[in-house]
Amino acid sequence: MSGEEEENAAELKIGDEFLKAKCLMNCEVSLILEHKYEQLQQSSDDAMNQVSQVFEKSLQYVKRFSRYKNPDAVRQVREILARYQLAEFELCVLGNLCPETVEEAIAMVPSIKTRGRAQDDEAIEKMLNDLSLIKKFE
Amino acid sequence: MFLKVQLPWNVIIAAENLKPGSLMLQRAILIRLLSDFAAKKATKDMGYFLAVTTLDKIGEGKVRQHTGDVLFPVVFNAVTFKIFKGEVLEGVVHKVLKHGVFMRIGPIENAYLSSSKMPGYVYVLGENPYFMNQKMPKIAKDVKARVVVIGTKWMEAEREFQALVGLEGDYLGPISSPDM
Repeated sequence: MSGEEEENAAELKIGDEFLKAKCLMNCEVSLILEHKYEQLQQSSDDAMNQVSQVFEKSLQYVKRFSRYKNPDAVRQVREILARYQLAEFELCVLGNLCPETVEEAIAMVPSIKTRGRAQDDEAIEKMLNDLSLIKKFE
Repeated sequence: MFLKVQLPWNVIIAAENLKPGSLMLQRAILIRLLSDFAAKKATKDMGYFLAVTTLDKIGEGKVRQHTGDVLFPVVFNAVTFKIFKGEVLEGVVHKVLKHGVFMRIGPIENAYLSSSKMPGYVYVLGENPYFMNQKMPKIAKDVKARVVVIGTKWMEAEREFQALVGLEGDYLGPISSPDM
């Protein structure tokens, strides 16, 4: 059971269209889906109240697996991670899993070391520190 | 991974729903789009369809010869969910069996974590069975765990993905952070 033969997110081999796609962190999706849900609840128009099972399961998931709740904090996380030369996919995995050490970050997203840009350990450490600061002050 | 995508679709409005006044028409198109979107559920390329975020463009309608329906090309933005081989994700265990557990990851209901991919874990029989490991927290129903995707499969008939996940690798396994 496998996808395309060469697909491997650890090496950022996810297909050109996804490399260029905009990825969203769980906390960003949480804000979007919660907002959508509120909009639908407020609308008295039944025809507009189309919430699929996929929507409900996903909302439940992102609420449970968001590391940041506050919209300002969520925006800050995206801003900070965007300063480093990361692919959208890598940025979101880091924002979702919040690794605490450089070693953990590389284990979660091996491509940050292998894809030629070779982020040095210092840069990765600084990035993780900045992220944990946001968490502290959320 | 959650993705934000821009998609071009065709929305078909039955002739009897074409009332004069552009506001009613736009509304009819939006309702139809939301309905089609929810019904589609997922595709192999884009993954699961979660929500339409914006309706960017409604093109000129084209009358369909034999039915009298009108076809409107629309462009909209949506959030989708797709998993990739090699991706590291977190999910929740919802079923424990002798040879492995099933987890929920995003909208995927049955991501399978085989016991052969749980190094160091053994099955413990009982009314509430679980997997035990000397050095790590147990894997039981409702436990959250971080896993790596080993393989994915698109099921055309059911319009859903199945996933095979594993714990082989550093920093994978049950996570005991408090529910936030």
